[in-house]
Amino acid sequence: MTEDRGDRLERPSDQSDGDVPDAVAAAESASAPESDSTSSEPDATAHENSDPESTASTDATTFTAEDLVVGYPGTDEPVIDGESVVAAPGEVTALVGPNGSGKSTMLKGLADQIDVDEGTVLLDGESIEEFGSKELARRLGLLSQENVAPGSLAVEKLVQHGRYPHRGYFDGLTDEDRAAIDRAIELAGVGHLRERSVDSLSGGQKQLVWIAMVLAQETDVLLLDEPTTFLDMHHQLQVMGIVERLRDERETTVVVVLHDVEQAARFADYIVALDDGEVYDWGPPEDVLTEALLADVFAVDATVSHDPLRVTPRRPLDED
Amino acid sequence: MAEQVAAGTEEVAAEQRFEWVDRSLVLMCLGSLAVVLVGGFVQTRFGTYDMTWEQSWRAVSDPAVVGNWAVWEAFLFGGELPDSVGVESRVVWAYRIPRVFVAVLVGMNLAVSGAIFQAVTRNELASPFVLGVSSGAGFVILLVLVVFSGATLVVPYVFGTAVLGVSTLLPVFAAIGGIAAFFVVYAIAWKNGTSPVRLVLAGVVVSTVFMSLQRALFYFAGDITVVQQAIAWTTGSLNGTDWEQVRIALPWTLVVTLVVLVSARQLNVLLLGERTAKSLGMNVERVRFALSVVAATAAAAAIAVAGIVSFVGLIVPHMVRNIVGSDHRQLVVGCLFLGPALMVVADIGARLGLLFATGAMQQVPVGIVTGLIGGPYFLYLMRKQEAMGEL
Repeated sequence: MTEDRGDRLERPSDQSDGDVPDAVAAAESASAPESDSTSSEPDATAHENSDPESTASTDATTFTAEDLVVGYPGTDEPVIDGESVVAAPGEVTALVGPNGSGKSTMLKGLADQIDVDEGTVLLDGESIEEFGSKELARRLGLLSQENVAPGSLAVEKLVQHGRYPHRGYFDGLTDEDRAAIDRAIELAGVGHLRERSVDSLSGGQKQLVWIAMVLAQETDVLLLDEPTTFLDMHHQLQVMGIVERLRDERETTVVVVLHDVEQAARFADYIVALDDGEVYDWGPPEDVLTEALLADVFAVDATVSHDPLRVTPRRPLDED
Repeated sequence: MAEQVAAGTEEVAAEQRFEWVDRSLVLMCLGSLAVVLVGGFVQTRFGTYDMTWEQSWRAVSDPAVVGNWAVWEAFLFGGELPDSVGVESRVVWAYRIPRVFVAVLVGMNLAVSGAIFQAVTRNELASPFVLGVSSGAGFVILLVLVVFSGATLVVPYVFGTAVLGVSTLLPVFAAIGGIAAFFVVYAIAWKNGTSPVRLVLAGVVVSTVFMSLQRALFYFAGDITVVQQAIAWTTGSLNGTDWEQVRIALPWTLVVTLVVLVSARQLNVLLLGERTAKSLGMNVERVRFALSVVAATAAAAAIAVAGIVSFVGLIVPHMVRNIVGSDHRQLVVGCLFLGPALMVVADIGARLGLLFATGAMQQVPVGIVTGLIGGPYFLYLMRKQEAMGEL
C-alpha cells in the first residue's frame, strides 16, 4: 500500500542540512491533504472529512526547526547538536527513539520551554522568539508528560484555563471562549466528567482532561510529550483517536513523542527517529521502520512486515 | 418575544459571571462578618474604662460621632475630636474602635499576602514572611530601637522642617526594611529567572542572616524597656493602635485588595505549574514578581502597624482553602473576610484575656495569641485530614 506521499518530503538521509528549506517548500506545495482516506494505517477506519470544503485547503501551519543546539545547564555537551526537523503540516509527525535519545529535549526546544543554544524554530516561517508569549500560545500548544493540578479543581475549570492566551487580563469568558471549551470537551470525549474534580479521576481520564485543556487553546500546532505512556490500552487508543480527529477536522500540525513504535507506525503520517541526539531517519512509517533501524537505534531484533505495516519485536540485542 | 429571549440570555450571562460564588463561600463570609461585628462590640464594652452593654451600644451608635462629618475627617485625615463628644463615645471611638479597624486591616493584609505567597511558591505552608519580609523588618526594628534610639530625623518640607524622633518613624522603617529584604531575596534567587524552590531557599538564607543579627542586637540592648518594645514589635501587638495606624494601613489595603481581586485568575494559572503556565502564554517571571511585590507590600503594611504577627497569613488561607477549595477567586475573597475575623478574635484574647483570667489590667502582644491558636490548629488538621500528603 505505497503512497505517493513518500515522494513529497525529502528524507534527511538523502539530503544535507542546507536542503531543509527545500523540504519546507516541498512540504508547503504538496501538503494538500487527501480527500479520501489513503492513510498509511491499513487498520484505521476510513475517516471521511465531514466538511468537503476543508479538503482543498493548504492552510496547515508549517513548523520546522533549523540547526537546533539544545542542552541543559548542568551538562557540558548539548543533547541535540545541530539537528533540523520538519513537522509535516496538517499531519501527524511522531518522534520516536530509545530512552535518552533526546526526544523530550527536542520537543521542549520546539515548544520554547527550554532556551535553545543555537538554531531557530520557525512557525509559518517566523521564528518563535519573535512571538509574544500569548501570541505564541495561541498558535502553539504543548501537552507535557506530567501535569499537576490543584486537587479540588473541576474539570470544566481546568479546560477553561486553555483559553488563557485568548483572554486579556481583565476579560471574562466570551461566548467564543465557551464555544471553544465545549468543542474541546466534546473532541476529548470528557463531557460526562465536566463537574468532577480532577483528583477524583483515573489516570486515563486525567490525561483526556488535560488534552481537552490543550484543545481549548485551539492552536495551529500541537506538541504532545508521551501522551500515551502511562495509559491503559483503552485510553491510549482514545488519545490517538483524538490526535487523528485533530488532523482530519482541524488540520492541526501535530508532533507527538511516542515510546511505542507500533503505535507510531499505526497512527503517524511521518516518523522522525532520534538516536543519541541525532535525527537518524525521517519519513513515512513504511520507509523509516526497517529492521535495520530497529536494530541500530532501538537495539531490538524485530520483524517488520508490510501490507499492513507490522512491527514485531523479538528480543533485545546486546551491545556489541 | 425577542425581549424575553434577550432577558433570558442576560440572566444566564449574569449567572455565569458569578458562577464562581458558591454557598460555602457566602456562608463563611457572613459568619466572619458576624464574628468581626460581635468581637468588635465586645472590645468596646470591656477594658480599663468599664461600661455596661447599654453604654457601649449608645457610644457606638452615637449620632454625634457617626453622623458627624467633622469627626470622620478627624479620624481619616488626622486631627482632634471635637469637645462635644462625650466621655464614653470618646473612649470607644478614639481608642477601642480604631483598634478593631486596625485588626481588620492587618487581618486582610496578612491573609491575602499569605494566599499569594502560597500560590507563588506552590507551597501550602508558606507564610507572608517566607520571602524575608519579617526578618528584614525585624532587623530594622531592632536596629532603630537599640542603636538609633536617641537619634532624630530632620525632614525638610514645604512649610518648614519636621523633626521626627526615629521611633515615630519606626513603622516606615520597618516596612522599608521588609521590602528591601524581599528584593534581596529575589536578587539572590535570580539566575536567568527564578523558581519556587530557589525563592524559598533564598528566603531561608536571608532570614537566617537577619535573624542572627537581630539576636545580636537583642543581646546588646541595655535597657529592659527597649527589649520589651522590641519583643512587642517582633511578636506583633495592637496595643496603642489608633486612627493613625488606620490611616497608615488603609490606602495600602485598598490597593492590595483591588489588585489581588483582579489577579486571582493569574494565581489559578500559576498553580498549574510553570511549564503549563508558560505553554498557556503566561509570562511566568513577570507575573510571579509582580504578585510577590503586592504580597510583600501587604505584609510590610501589616508589619508597619502591628509588628510581625505570625500564623495569621499561614493558617487563614489554609482554612479558607479547606472550605471553598483552591480557586483563587473564592480563596481571596474568603481570606479578606476570615483574616479580619481571626485577628479580631485574637486581639480580644490579647487585650482582655488576662483581664478575664486574672483580673490584671495587662495586655499581651497579639502575636502570642495567634501563635497559641496556630499550633493547635495544625494539630487539628493533622488529626482530621486523612491524606497528610495534602497538607
